[in-house]
Amino acid sequence: MEIKMKMPDLATNEGTEIAVTKWLVEIGQPVKRGQPLLEVETDKAVQEVECIANGTLNAMHVEPGQSVPVGHIIATIEVG
Amino acid sequence: MDRDFMLQLYERMVLIREFEETVKFLFLEGTMPGTIHQCQGQEATAVGVCAALRPDDWITSTFRGHGHALAKGLTPQELLDELFGAKTGCCQGKGGSMHVGNMSKGMVPGIAIVAGGIPLAAGMALAFKLQKKSHIVTCFFGDGAVAEGAFHEGVNMAAIWNLPVIFVCENNLYGASTRVDLVMKNPRISDRAASYGFRGETVDGNDVLAVYEATQRAAEECRAGKGPVLLELLTYRRTGHSRRDPCHYQPKDEREAWAQRDPIERCAEQLGLDETAREQIQQRIQKEIEAAVAQAKVAPQPTPADLETDVFA
Repeated sequence: MEIKMKMPDLATNEGTEIAVTKWLVEIGQPVKRGQPLLEVETDKAVQEVECIANGTLNAMHVEPGQSVPVGHIIATIEVG
Repeated sequence: MDRDFMLQLYERMVLIREFEETVKFLFLEGTMPGTIHQCQGQEATAVGVCAALRPDDWITSTFRGHGHALAKGLTPQELLDELFGAKTGCCQGKGGSMHVGNMSKGMVPGIAIVAGGIPLAAGMALAFKLQKKSHIVTCFFGDGAVAEGAFHEGVNMAAIWNLPVIFVCENNLYGASTRVDLVMKNPRISDRAASYGFRGETVDGNDVLAVYEATQRAAEECRAGKGPVLLELLTYRRTGHSRRDPCHYQPKDEREAWAQRDPIERCAEQLGLDETAREQIQQRIQKEIEAAVAQAKVAPQPTPADLETDVFA
């Protein structure tokens, strides 16, 4: 089964987009719930975003440097 | 200390940790609305204090109230329903994360204004005293509340009338992002009690038994008409102030030092629980919470007809 992970609501001002600065895991690698998956920059701070499920990272849907709104699908995780 | 009792304290702390972790991931996956203030790392304060209270004693809480609620006997289901805004929540979905409570279980819905619960607790205790009831009131607040005017007003009232209140300051070293030593010349909060003429005590807030025993002593004094008491519980928050706070202001070495003093791991060591026993307890509690989440996600939402019920303004 696949899980689509969305950009969490980390911005302090509603409606602001959140930029992906860096991915911390490569495609095909196993991931764990709670493991830092990517780094984002909000209107206030740079912070890591934890993975929401145990499985394998199947796809990243946002390139570093790209900004997306809250709720935008950022990654696909294959879960057991 | 009775091992079964201590195991209960341990399991209650694990329940709070797993509840908070579950809520964190519900927030990250986008299903949990709003922001949330969590208490990972502070479980021993809520559990140690509430275990020393009687079911008919009262607590007041803050915006960081999930742990207090679970420690006072609210169920994960009524809390999760509330967090999802459901009609079946402990406040019929009208309180949300920052105002959880249940009057039938002795918990006034969370008071999100910093220090707002302190005069209220004094007022409740005055009522119990005048009605000659033996209930005591335990008032939870954080280190940030101590510099508020309401702290002075509420604590002074409780002092002059010897009210049965345990003022419990959960000192987690940071008021939002501001470290206590930047805003206090004397960072030992329990010292404040002496200036009002009653007893204060600083306790290792990550040692659930120490917290329990200190609260028992304080409760006995309050019931004997020798209240109030101020307990300062030294603890540490392992997450941001709220979910959007990346917590960069906590130095890495400080975080690591406090992680070594994790209240749940310390209690497990005292109990002599091995890895397998810890995992079994954790998995059983996780299952219970997962079932509650599944039910909360489909719980009925309030309707327009509920708009004016249970509200005063």
